[in-house]
Amino acid sequence: MRRAKTWLTILLIACACMLASCQSVRKEEEKNSLRIGISLYRGDDTFINNLCSILEEKAKEYERENGIKVTLDIQDAKGSQNTQNNQVERFIALECDVLCINLVDRMDASVIIDRAMTAGVPVVFFNRQPVEEDMERWNQLYYVGVDAKETAVLQGQMVVDLYKEHPEAIDRNGDGVVSYVMLEGETSHQDSLIRTEWSVQTLKDGGVPIEKITGGIANWERSQASALMEQWLSEYPDTIELVISNNDDMALGAIDALERAQVSGVNIVGIDGTIPGLEALENGSLLGTVSANKEIYASAIVELAASCVLGETMPEEYPLIDGNYYWASQEILIHEN
Amino acid sequence: MISKGGKWLLFLYVAFLALLFLMCSTDLIIREPEREIYQIAVIIEDVRSDNYSNFRKGMDQAAMEFNVDVHLITLYEKSDVEQQMELMEREQQDGADALIVVPADEEQVAEKPMVVPVIFIQPGFMEKTGAGDIVIDYEQMGRRIANEMLGNMPTDASVWMLIDAAKQNGMDRRFLKGASDVFADAGCRTRVIERDEAAGFSLSAEANGRNEKVMLLAENAEILSEVSDMLSDNPAADGRFCGLYGRGNTVPILNDLDRGRISGICVTDDFSIGYLSVCLAVQTLEGKDNIPIMADFYYIEKENLREPEYEKLLFPIE
Repeated sequence: MRRAKTWLTILLIACACMLASCQSVRKEEEKNSLRIGISLYRGDDTFINNLCSILEEKAKEYERENGIKVTLDIQDAKGSQNTQNNQVERFIALECDVLCINLVDRMDASVIIDRAMTAGVPVVFFNRQPVEEDMERWNQLYYVGVDAKETAVLQGQMVVDLYKEHPEAIDRNGDGVVSYVMLEGETSHQDSLIRTEWSVQTLKDGGVPIEKITGGIANWERSQASALMEQWLSEYPDTIELVISNNDDMALGAIDALERAQVSGVNIVGIDGTIPGLEALENGSLLGTVSANKEIYASAIVELAASCVLGETMPEEYPLIDGNYYWASQEILIHEN
Repeated sequence: MISKGGKWLLFLYVAFLALLFLMCSTDLIIREPEREIYQIAVIIEDVRSDNYSNFRKGMDQAAMEFNVDVHLITLYEKSDVEQQMELMEREQQDGADALIVVPADEEQVAEKPMVVPVIFIQPGFMEKTGAGDIVIDYEQMGRRIANEMLGNMPTDASVWMLIDAAKQNGMDRRFLKGASDVFADAGCRTRVIERDEAAGFSLSAEANGRNEKVMLLAENAEILSEVSDMLSDNPAADGRFCGLYGRGNTVPILNDLDRGRISGICVTDDFSIGYLSVCLAVQTLEGKDNIPIMADFYYIEKENLREPEYEKLLFPIE
């Protein structure tokens, strides 16, 4: 009887070892390819569109360098959280190894997180940061973005530096006060509020005598910003000296309105360093912008997604803050006369 | 105390419940028809998918409707035929049920022996066909745009055809051939201007010292965008160049057409092509026969850009 028990135990251990080795072989096999499901909050957003193109390039670079096949499934949620939730469900059904999500509604990440946790699929959020409570729900949730306060401070600092060097270039009418209007992004986006607050605070701290004429929410959109600016130009003629915009697209909208009204001499600063923004910077219609290094931004998303799946540690050049956050570096770009 | 009859009734009731459970929640009695999810890989000839955004939308729409798993693959180098064939091989090995290929070189790629069915988006009628073909007749497209250019051409003007010889593919070649034939038949003076890898196009330098007016024809969307940007940054060139034409329907091209920087474009209905290519792949996998589909193309100028027919075509809603 005792002998039978011993044999039974040996048999069970042998079975367990076989199962474990099968599992590890499966894991080894999985390392040869990586399938990433990417959902964009809106594919027609210029910054997101630029970033997405670079993401595709970085995925190919990763594939070449590491010999791991990378397949990207890119979907546009068109501003609907419901659509994005369905896309996530489909990604999981299609056995994506990792999800990269540009949230539509940063307050509503719970459905995505629930589904990802149930399926055991890590999630890298980017550009639109989920609330902290959501991020703390699982250790396989990450965020890649830029530090909104740093962005705003750099935007403000750009104007402060110019004012100190050539006050007449900023205070165009020479009355000792810089009259500005503010173009804000979506109210539900964390960056919008922080960018608005800290760019103005930096101007004040830097000693620029500013006066706010008016401001408005243009939801990151060029057309909405253009309409607002057109209205302000007729309400406050010959008054606006500076336009502070939460992003480049809205700054371009303001430029469109100025061109239509044939008004010159208004300084405009943006954020993002999008391709059309950089073109405007080159031709001088945009005074300056703050640009995240999009190459590093996109690389960080791909590297983080890959390291989550392959169980590797994140490369040293992409340090994670608090274990889950990566902040991409930023720089000021100014029009050179 | 339950009687014997009651026990039987209870037993039958439990058995009935068990049967219902088995019928509803398992495949034991009524087997659910298993629907296979086909894996379809789409391999384009470009390094970026920007020019394929409407194609992609059509493809995704078909993927949802037919419950297939479609993914789009770009090349490391534009029009690198060797790499495209390697990728076809790789996708076949990785379990793709069918491939959709926009060939970098239609003749070489069509010759590649494949086990899985391949749907080709061909730039013209080919002798060797795939399991299904969607044909876009680029030569006819070139003829069409050349005829439109001739209709708008000032007397004594010449045409410069802008090419990138290093990255030229079958679509570009056929498009230019069609246009060249029309210009030759009309006795129109033409020049081929090659893009320099480092300096791009130096159109102003080329035009210096010439009094003639010049119409420009770009062989593909990238060149059309590049030249449009270049001319918009150099207003002085406006006097010499009296029209920029080409093919492609990316957002920057449409914006430039709207602004009047581009005079006319030829476009295809990319959404339908993307959708139909997936349909053809599914039909082939289901054992149905396919006949080649001829895709239409359209000539659009600023004036008709906002017509509902073209708006639907250029900005499709999924």
